[in-house]
Amino acid sequence: MSDILNKLSVRSPWLFRINAGSCNGCDVELATTACIPRYDVERFGCRYCGSPRHADIVLITGPLTARVKDKVLKVWDEIPNPKVTVAVGICPISGGVFREGYSIVGPIDRYIPVDVNVPGCPPRPQAILEGVVLAKQIWMKKLGLVEG
Amino acid sequence: MAGFLKVLLRNALQGPSTDPYPFAPTFSPKEIRGQVVVDPEKCMGCGICDYTCVAGAIHIDKREDGHTITVYHNACCRCANCYKYCPVGAIYLTDNWHSAHDHAVQYEQIEQQVITKEHCLNCGEPIRPIPLELATRLYAGKDDIDPDHVRHLCPKCRQMEDARRLHNSLAKPEQA
Repeated sequence: MSDILNKLSVRSPWLFRINAGSCNGCDVELATTACIPRYDVERFGCRYCGSPRHADIVLITGPLTARVKDKVLKVWDEIPNPKVTVAVGICPISGGVFREGYSIVGPIDRYIPVDVNVPGCPPRPQAILEGVVLAKQIWMKKLGLVEG
Repeated sequence: MAGFLKVLLRNALQGPSTDPYPFAPTFSPKEIRGQVVVDPEKCMGCGICDYTCVAGAIHIDKREDGHTITVYHNACCRCANCYKYCPVGAIYLTDNWHSAHDHAVQYEQIEQQVITKEHCLNCGEPIRPIPLELATRLYAGKDDIDPDHVRHLCPKCRQMEDARRLHNSLAKPEQA
């Protein structure tokens, strides 16, 4: 039964967005990928969902501030396995321009295993689409549907 | 009703507005700021790019016989401060924005150039030659100086050369 469900759900990984103290630049680009017909992330069967329990791919923006750290980890834990984590922007990857700030506890791979990086400040919508496609491939590998 | 028909007709004529990327090639806007590239021929290792980099993405390791310049793409915020302040135009941004990669290779996302010093033509001291473009601009209007020769001299030998030239130009009218 779970095999059938896995095979059926493979066409549409749902996206979830976590803002870990981002400046909103990357969030605007993420909204752009979903809302503007030119980019249209729903072509890949992806769509943004409101609840972490429905998500398959999680997109994290922001350098992980001390204030949101526990909340981000809590929300991330609620996403069912197998999940793919995408770090969007240079902040979650390296800390970016906020690196070594007094309120920054990131980069995010100190606390969360990251699968895909999409650097940029902010990255282009097409670069985010690249990252989502890469994440989808990794997700299929994690489900065991693709050899690799 | 008529407005709806107008929209329908326009959409039917124009076709889909979705960019087919990543299934087909896409466009890059003019002057988009992409990944940083360093020109090893021009870089003098002055370190102004390291100083002005807001994200701390540029590192310069100085050695006896030259320097290594490293730009971490995963820290670079593409503000182009390095491009703006580089006095010799050795560092610039390309239009390559294809940056998504697997997390396992994140430390391979760098631009690294190992730059070695050359020897002064006169005394043999190791120096970085001034780029020809800059030397031509500096010595513009001075026909008796060969910028390609002067750029390979160390600052001390350049001063000596200047002094000798000045002395010659002062000495000549007396002889004549």
